[in-house]
Amino acid sequence: MKRGVADTRLAYGLMAPALVLIIAVMAYPVAWEVWTSFTNFSVRSEGRAFVGLANYRAMLGDPLFWWALAVTIVYFLVTTTAKLALGLGMALLLARPSRLRALVFLAVFLPWAYPGGVTVVAWYWMLNPPLITSYSLVAGTLKHAVDSTLGPGAWAFVSVALFNVWRGGSFTAVFLLAGLNAIPTELFDYAALETRSAWQRLRHVTVPLLRPFLALAVFLSFTGAFADLANVWMLTGGRIVFPVIGTYAYWLGIRQGQFGEAAAWSLSLVPLLALALLVLFRWFDPPAERPA
Amino acid sequence: MSVRGRWRHALLLSVIALYSLFPIYFITVQSLKTPEEDVFGSPLWVADPTFENYTELFESGEARVRGYAILPKVPFVIWLANSAVVLAASVVLTLACAVPAAYALGRLRPPGWRWWRRVLFATYVIPQTILFIPMYQVVLAFGLDDSPAALVVIYSAMALPFCVWLLSAYYANLPREIEESALVEGATRLGAFRRIMLPMSRNVLVASGLFTLGTVGQDFMLASVFLLDRYKQTVAAGLGVMDVSLEELVAVAGVNMAAIPVVILCALFARGYVRGLTAAMLEGA
Repeated sequence: MKRGVADTRLAYGLMAPALVLIIAVMAYPVAWEVWTSFTNFSVRSEGRAFVGLANYRAMLGDPLFWWALAVTIVYFLVTTTAKLALGLGMALLLARPSRLRALVFLAVFLPWAYPGGVTVVAWYWMLNPPLITSYSLVAGTLKHAVDSTLGPGAWAFVSVALFNVWRGGSFTAVFLLAGLNAIPTELFDYAALETRSAWQRLRHVTVPLLRPFLALAVFLSFTGAFADLANVWMLTGGRIVFPVIGTYAYWLGIRQGQFGEAAAWSLSLVPLLALALLVLFRWFDPPAERPA
Repeated sequence: MSVRGRWRHALLLSVIALYSLFPIYFITVQSLKTPEEDVFGSPLWVADPTFENYTELFESGEARVRGYAILPKVPFVIWLANSAVVLAASVVLTLACAVPAAYALGRLRPPGWRWWRRVLFATYVIPQTILFIPMYQVVLAFGLDDSPAALVVIYSAMALPFCVWLLSAYYANLPREIEESALVEGATRLGAFRRIMLPMSRNVLVASGLFTLGTVGQDFMLASVFLLDRYKQTVAAGLGVMDVSLEELVAVAGVNMAAIPVVILCALFARGYVRGLTAAMLEGA
């Protein structure tokens, strides 16, 4: 195909609205965070001076940072694994023909369709009833059991994680079902002849074929996991005392007014996210996959 | 499949349906209870259902009395209308930006298109929540506080990366002949796109639209900070500021009321959503 200068120009013209939108929303905030993380900008001191890496050094020397980082990573790993496992299981069940399929599909779709930003509110207050209700005893026992093993505030945290898995698992299931539909059925027919058990088939055929979609699902689950946590944190005025990088950064910035340090905390996740992106891109957007 | 296998499959399907529906059933049961039953009844069913919590959302007047407390009236209908406006505008803006960009990346392939696509997609993982303070500065600088326009722009930027990815994968997978036959007949590139490829991608557009809806629906935090005026809030922002310890069940009823239109929309488009995703996933993501 001929690729003229006119086509290239047209392409940039067509991409312009999307780029303008992203830049308008993200460029200034990202630049501000980066710049502020190198200054001592805070409501406690006048003006702002360049302090180099002092904020980062203070952060790395803070034991709370390492604790928050560990909690953040565990939260992402656990919820993402649960979402993938549940989602894959539900997708495989829904991919097989059955008279119930259409109805069950709608049921599985529902947790995601239920608007998450408000549902998490209901969910949180249901699992952490503020007043005495009919199941306070059960909720209280659960809360006590979890908090006494993992530390105060753990149950509130777990209830958000459960919500994230419930809603995100539904999204993953529908997403992977679409992925399964995109794989030619002959491949599964061959696999049925070549492998001995259903488990083998899953491990050696289905999962490798689904790998790009599994990687995409992980990618999409990051943002949701963060948003749910932030929502509840906001809702409860910071009552989730379990520190996570994002919420602690927010607390430092909004409540304490230490913008410089808060920015350093916020950006501490960037290397991890970049690493995850590198791995995921390799899986769902391999460089030499498609001839242009 | 054997008879036993079919039964086992049906049983497992029922289990996942129950698992998916139970939380919604549970909150709905609580929202139908009177204050007395909320304390003394069973958590799993409601003996004497009342729509009190729901009707309270729509009551007029400036204040209402509940027990010993006087609470401000909830302008729930206005919240619903505001949410609908924000939602519709976000979907329109997202698709208006995503479709041309996806066509350019999937079809015209400017130099470095792969990196453009990756960079665009990478912005999706940046949590908006950590960019929140400078974002608020921008909103203030443009005088957009208490305006749904700020939310529409931010939500669209959040949903855009995935929609561009999805649509560009679909356009890239379409056979060249479809476009070329139109070009031979004298259509321009954009004309061929608009008349032939765009209608073909209907399901992928549905998938992108529903994904945007899910993204907008997920937010509570941005809405609750950017919209402070009670009469300009969306449902999420409004329910968030209710005094939950006193009005827990009303808030839950509000969640259900807000969910009903969204659920109906999703149910209507569910099939198109899966088909659209599948269409974009054929031959690699």
